[in-house]
Amino acid sequence: MELQTAIERISELLDDGELETSNTSMRIPTALRDAAALAVKELGIAPSATALTTAALRATLEAVVMQAALDDHYERHPQARPDLGDLAIAAAELDGHPLAGQPGRLRQAAAEIAANHPDASPDDVLLWAEARALPAA
Amino acid sequence: MTYLVVLDCEAVQALRDPGHPKHRHVVSQAQVVANRKRRAVAIQIVVPTAVRVEAGWDRTSRAWVFPNRLRIADSPLDTASANTAAGIRDRTSVSVADSHIGAVIQSAPYSQITVVTSDPGDMRRVAGDKNITVAAI
Repeated sequence: MELQTAIERISELLDDGELETSNTSMRIPTALRDAAALAVKELGIAPSATALTTAALRATLEAVVMQAALDDHYERHPQARPDLGDLAIAAAELDGHPLAGQPGRLRQAAAEIAANHPDASPDDVLLWAEARALPAA
Repeated sequence: MTYLVVLDCEAVQALRDPGHPKHRHVVSQAQVVANRKRRAVAIQIVVPTAVRVEAGWDRTSRAWVFPNRLRIADSPLDTASANTAAGIRDRTSVSVADSHIGAVIQSAPYSQITVVTSDPGDMRRVAGDKNITVAAI
């Protein structure tokens, strides 16, 4: 199956609202199973360990599908690929971060941090820009 | 924390068209959402269906293949949403699509709601008492 066809099929399956369920036999580490059961019982993070597993699996698959779509798009349209500065600005905007209105400062912070940390994340940039904005003690 | 990102008409159009001057900006925001999904953050992008109509987003059209692949869910204009949207439109005289965005905002059970929009003023008006983050494009 071609990659894009597989991605589209995964996406269709994720959208399928059918409530039919299947028993499945998966071997997972015992400690992980016990941790999930405890988190459900004591922390109430999901109605059941099955619901917790299902939600985590769905989130992972959604991330994979979304990233595959973005990667394919970047390949076709290289100019659409955001750099670290773009991503830091976008993260600040989505969060309503006080520096969202200062894109120049975020781009500068992105350039500085990328020089020493090529794998820096947009959140790293925000933190660095925030630290730089603090008045010197 | 649960996060909801709502797209307005121009955000949707910018996402579809690689030649749109705001394309890279909205793609950056989609990339940040993808990064966060990968980190198991509970974040979801939605498009109110009235926005889809205004933007011309037909999910069966090949012209919309890229937005279709980004796991952007429809928020339908059902009976309850239509009632809320009608009230918003009556009070504020905004467009049907913006009224639907307001209905989505007002009924969404999310901790943080961000609206990606080219019209921050109208978004704050349709949000009513609900606290939102506006990501202006």
